[in-house]
Amino acid sequence: MQKEAAIREPLILGHKTYHDITEDVCRPIEDKAPKMWYILFGIALIVGLYGVGCILYLLGTGVGVWGLNKTIGWAWDITNFVWWVGIGHAGTLISAVLLLFRQKWRMAINRSAEAMTIFAVFMAGLFPLIHMGRLWVGYWVLPIPNQFGSLWVNFNSPLLWDVFAISTYLSVSLVFWYIGLIPDFATIRDRAKKPVAKKMYSILSFGWSGRAKHWNRFEMVSLVLAGLATPLVFSVHSIVSFDFATSVIPGWHTTIFPPYFVAGAVFSGFAMVQTLLLIMRKAMSLEAYIHTKHVEYMNIVIMVTGSIVGTAYITELFISWYSGVEYEAYAFLNRATGPYWWAYFAMMTCNVISPQLMWFRKLRRSLLFTFFISIVVNIGMWFERYVIIMTSLHRDYLPSSWSMHYPSPIDIGVYIGTIGLFFTFFLLFARFFPVLALNEIKSILKGSGQSYKESPDYHKNH
Amino acid sequence: MANTKKYWKGIDELNETKSFQESKESEFSQSNSIESFLADDQLSESSTGRRDFLKFLGFSVAAATVAACEAPVIKAVPYVMKPENVTPGMPTWYASTYYDGASYASILVKTREARPIFIKGNKHFGITKGSVTPPIIASVLGVYDSERIKNPLKAGKKSSWAAVDKEISSAIRNGNKVALISSTVISPSTLSAISELGSAVKGEFEHIQYDAISYSAMRNANELNFGKPFIPSYDFSKAKTIVSINADFLSTWLMPTEFAAQYGETRNPESDGGWMSKHFQFESVMSVAGSNADYRTMTKPSEEEAVLKYILAGLRGMSGTIPSSLKKSADLAIKSLQENGKESLVVCGTNNTGLQQLANEINEHNGANGTTIDLYNELQMFQSEEAKLMNCVKGISSGKYDVVLFYNSNPVYSFPKDELKKALKSKKVKVSVSLNSHADETGALCTYNCPDHHGLESWADYQPKSNHYAIAQPTIRPLHDTADALESFLVWSGKAERGGKDSTVAYDKIKETFSNISGADFKMVMHNSCVDLPQSMIEDSVTFNSVGYAAMPKKPSGTEVIMYQKSAIGSGIHANNPWLHELPDPITKVTWDNYITMNPVEMRKAGYKTTYDQENGLSMAKVTVNGVSVTLPIYPLPGQAPGTVGIALGYGRGGNGEKIGKSAYQTAEYGGYAVSKNGKPASIGANVFPMISTDNDEFYYSNSGKLSNVAGEYIIAATQIHHTVMGRHSIVRETTKEIFDSKGKEAYNPAHTLQTLDDDLNHVEKPVSEFDIWDAHPVENVGHRWGMSIDLSSCIGCSNCLVACQSENNVPVVGKDEVRRGREMHWLRIDRYFASDEEAAVGTKKNKDSFSYDQAEIAALNPKVVHMPMMCQHCNHAPCETVCPVAATTHSNEGLNQMTYNRCIGTRYCSNNCPYKVRRFNWFNYPSYKKFTEINPAQDDLGRMVLNPDVTVRSRGVMEKCSFCVQRIQATKLKSKIDKVPVEDGEFSTACADVCPTNAIVVGDWNDVNSKIRKSSENKRSYQALEEVGIRPNVWYKVKVRNEQNNLLSKLQVEKKSHHGSNNKHH
Repeated sequence: MQKEAAIREPLILGHKTYHDITEDVCRPIEDKAPKMWYILFGIALIVGLYGVGCILYLLGTGVGVWGLNKTIGWAWDITNFVWWVGIGHAGTLISAVLLLFRQKWRMAINRSAEAMTIFAVFMAGLFPLIHMGRLWVGYWVLPIPNQFGSLWVNFNSPLLWDVFAISTYLSVSLVFWYIGLIPDFATIRDRAKKPVAKKMYSILSFGWSGRAKHWNRFEMVSLVLAGLATPLVFSVHSIVSFDFATSVIPGWHTTIFPPYFVAGAVFSGFAMVQTLLLIMRKAMSLEAYIHTKHVEYMNIVIMVTGSIVGTAYITELFISWYSGVEYEAYAFLNRATGPYWWAYFAMMTCNVISPQLMWFRKLRRSLLFTFFISIVVNIGMWFERYVIIMTSLHRDYLPSSWSMHYPSPIDIGVYIGTIGLFFTFFLLFARFFPVLALNEIKSILKGSGQSYKESPDYHKNH
Repeated sequence: MANTKKYWKGIDELNETKSFQESKESEFSQSNSIESFLADDQLSESSTGRRDFLKFLGFSVAAATVAACEAPVIKAVPYVMKPENVTPGMPTWYASTYYDGASYASILVKTREARPIFIKGNKHFGITKGSVTPPIIASVLGVYDSERIKNPLKAGKKSSWAAVDKEISSAIRNGNKVALISSTVISPSTLSAISELGSAVKGEFEHIQYDAISYSAMRNANELNFGKPFIPSYDFSKAKTIVSINADFLSTWLMPTEFAAQYGETRNPESDGGWMSKHFQFESVMSVAGSNADYRTMTKPSEEEAVLKYILAGLRGMSGTIPSSLKKSADLAIKSLQENGKESLVVCGTNNTGLQQLANEINEHNGANGTTIDLYNELQMFQSEEAKLMNCVKGISSGKYDVVLFYNSNPVYSFPKDELKKALKSKKVKVSVSLNSHADETGALCTYNCPDHHGLESWADYQPKSNHYAIAQPTIRPLHDTADALESFLVWSGKAERGGKDSTVAYDKIKETFSNISGADFKMVMHNSCVDLPQSMIEDSVTFNSVGYAAMPKKPSGTEVIMYQKSAIGSGIHANNPWLHELPDPITKVTWDNYITMNPVEMRKAGYKTTYDQENGLSMAKVTVNGVSVTLPIYPLPGQAPGTVGIALGYGRGGNGEKIGKSAYQTAEYGGYAVSKNGKPASIGANVFPMISTDNDEFYYSNSGKLSNVAGEYIIAATQIHHTVMGRHSIVRETTKEIFDSKGKEAYNPAHTLQTLDDDLNHVEKPVSEFDIWDAHPVENVGHRWGMSIDLSSCIGCSNCLVACQSENNVPVVGKDEVRRGREMHWLRIDRYFASDEEAAVGTKKNKDSFSYDQAEIAALNPKVVHMPMMCQHCNHAPCETVCPVAATTHSNEGLNQMTYNRCIGTRYCSNNCPYKVRRFNWFNYPSYKKFTEINPAQDDLGRMVLNPDVTVRSRGVMEKCSFCVQRIQATKLKSKIDKVPVEDGEFSTACADVCPTNAIVVGDWNDVNSKIRKSSENKRSYQALEEVGIRPNVWYKVKVRNEQNNLLSKLQVEKKSHHGSNNKHH
């Protein structure tokens, strides 16, 4: 059993037994859903369906229903894509990287973080699809044998790399998440009384019996997948950043992008995890498992990645001036002082200044403040992508083509709609899936549980 | 052995029973009739089983569904018999002539499968030497206008030629007072037919020529000075000094089809004679000519008299008075005129006899008559007689006329007074006949509409100048039941019979007329489209007399309002042509609207908005002149003379919902028309003809007015919302003639260098061409490599190239709402850059260290202008090609960047990564989406016929862009292959280069070392835009050279050179 220094804050508060953990996690699934769940689900579903409506209108009419123009070929669509991919970064980082680093506190959050990742990547993947002028021939980006002669995809194109990166990331994340769910599904199956539920969960749990051999294989697969997923955490957003970094547009053509994008992605991903978990722990009475310490850990990650992002912003700004390249220098001058200065200002405030507040212990341990900052960070990260994508395009080389971007109602509808869909999925997850890795968490109960740490036996054993 | 076998089908047959014998005779075994079968009661009792029912149901539903899935029917009618001389797929070119009452040109019409699809100038024959204007190129669309009147109308109802001819001709023959109001008729045959018509009239007959844009003052002034009302021929190509007072001779004034090419010849700084014209322009609204001037001076209409008088006095060695703001340039003009004497030309575009006399005096003093001015070869166009018309209108109002005919003239719209409209409305004329092609403002009020053919459907002859005769031949059989006006006149005067669609009346008449004028071979004339007439046609007996000046323009009170013409819409003849509406104005870049122009400096003072974009409109203002007021957006036009505002003529057509064309009205955001207050489709812009001053029976196109504020904003659709080049020297390069002559290339066209390390690790500067991370495409010295060069010095911004490209490449029309959203589809655009106060010349920063980007965004008070045609640069290291995930855009082995529409999935990544932003995305399905029904010709059964069959009509969701007219390249190569000869230089031309009046665009095979393009690309003025990005374009630009004194620029360009030298030493 894992031993831990006594002075470390316990990860599980209160006097929980193994059974309590099972009860706590399974209760929301087995009980009737509270009224609040129905209300939230209703709202999310309506917003999501509105987004689906906007998407259908878009597909039926043409990309022209968005606010794009001859100068600005991407704006909200790809901004949303990068934003969602960024959010989808935290899950795998938490479950894979932290697993490899044996960070036990991840166990409280990894399940929902991974769910969030998957749903966020769904949302992200939607945008490159619907942003295409001809979605119905979108499968041409896949290198599949075809009847067009020797026509092949263009391996020079970062957009193609994106296709591979995102699809790999999604499939690995999905498998990883599902593997983790199997023992927990089995627990629910064993407790289920209704025949339908029992049948469903028994299918989902793949005949898990809890034998030592199963556990052994489970651990091994988890490690292997963690090893596979770790490079993906870094590759996905690096490749997304290549979309911009390999171009010739000032403000896009920047070698600093890959690390800067990865840091930004982790930054926004953790913020989104915070937003979700702070609500969930309250709504589902999981305060014992997800508490101030967890939040503090995550806030530290936010602070560190936020500082990396801030450094990148300032480096970029400095280099643009130092390079002496007319177009480069203007692109950044324009970002900061041009017509979209407010977007830049929002990005700088939300992403550079706000995480610095986490240096204060009191603030980073304040749940309310954390919730507020987590929202601020995600607003900031949306603006970061908007600033990079749109302000670089709107005033590039030839001033004759300089333009402004105004989002159309459909732009906004699709974006809000994906948030609705995301929450629809997440609420369904919270209702039917074990939101904590209950079987994993049991493994730290005796090492990190408050009652065990405080009990005299615990000290004796050391 | 005999066959004894017997075959039988039954025992009855074997035995040959009686009953068998009987039944063999009848066809049916039973004698049931259908009636008895149906009357069978059991039949109704028989029921269909459930399973059968479901089978039938399933089958019918499936069948109905399959039937409903039928693909849209696209009509293609094959030839039953192949016509002679028409080979499907092969174009046929006709030499013809264009004349619409306002502009004239010798043209070549390209027809495919017997339908005209493209018009360009005829470079080999005719007085216009291949020059055309945007309306001429766009006129091909007019044939297929689905709102042309398709048959004769009586009181708006369909009638027949036989019926209307009978009634009209009896009305004319019995008429006591008959008038024919037409635009200037320069057709000898039509004139003769009109005189036949006149002689058929029982009583009095008047033929009044009336042009919406009048040049009567020139004729009047010449009558005073030379004793004869005429307009001479001008030759700008001989003018070393050009002084233009309010004459936009490059786009609208008099004969731009002649002048633009002549002017272009004088703008080459490397010409053989070593000279380049010096062009002074004094004007209030910045015009195309003004934007090209070496010295442009903001001059109010009321100051024109002073300018002309001052110049005249200066030339005569006397001193004059002139407002101080004009003195400097007027002095320079005087100096230049004195230097060049008879090799100079002063033109005045103001329709005022006194001012024209002053211009005559100056030209006479300089001795220009005889060199740049040909007094004897008179221009036959523009014979407008306002006085006669005004008299006639009074007569019509008082009911004196029995019959009034309108031919190619729309006075109800363009006549400044509304008397005529009222008279026609209240039926003051018994019989009114319109021969106009549309039921336009005038036609809609006439009793009879006898539609004339479109110019491309009919025979016509023209005598544009005393010594020149030209023929227009039909390029398509008349599409509708229309009749040649010439034939109508003859029929009504009883001299001819109707000949229907294949009538030869006009042809015979023209042949007859021609035989009276010239002895030349008619077939040859038809082939060439024109012939020079014998010298005897020219009278040469005028002498100049200095006489007292006629009345000068009245002194203004309040704001001076100028009614000017835009190059595309002109006087409004083509206000139904969507190509022309969507053509960005060469100066303002605004489409689909007219507006009040005002200097932004003044506007800022008055609190008007001076910036605009997709969502932010311009302030509205009301201009009141003569009690007539219009409310329009007020547009910030740099260079507008302070104290003046300008409004373009030709807009506000069809205000009463007349059927003047589908595209002549404002469209709503989701399709359909925007509706005006009177419930009719809202017309585009406002009509300002009523604001013209008619003092002294002379149309004077400016007037005193009052400008007042109106609440509200108006969103304008412009293709360019940023107007300066921000001092970016790698985009636009400009120098002066002086620097160009005296300094080397490094002064005005330095190669871009980058720093790198040499072998000893020292910093060295090397040209961009030495840095390359890509393997070069194997196009150099292998086969063809198509290239283009564009001379910014000779490009005048006329926009011919833009319309020609639209016509050649089936570029969709997207309408105002899409243009304002920055989604125009033009493959070729003309970037127009104004200089800012931060720049010494366009693209050259005054001071690199203290350069203010904010200030650089604001155009100077009276800025210098550069027109820069911009299209796909066909980069050899194209950034678009590397980023396409599906390889839909690739490089050809001839150096072309090619776009494969079929393969495109529409990610728009290529467009984002294009440094020139020349790629255009199909945001909607332009050929079918409801938003474009009214404006996109491709959505109209008739309009669709204008599409070039060699070019794909793009559908929704794909990217498109300039292809260097690859269809023409292929055609040229195929021809050479069949002929087994190499492609000759000049054999292939793109649509844009084809119609460039100044030959600023040169295209060809760069790998051919003797080609024009190769030489042009190696010229010391040649540079590539954004060279430092390393994309290796196949398009070269040539440095703009202005023939002006620019001390700051020469200081900068000469200084920079020495600065560079010291840098090199330092390293």
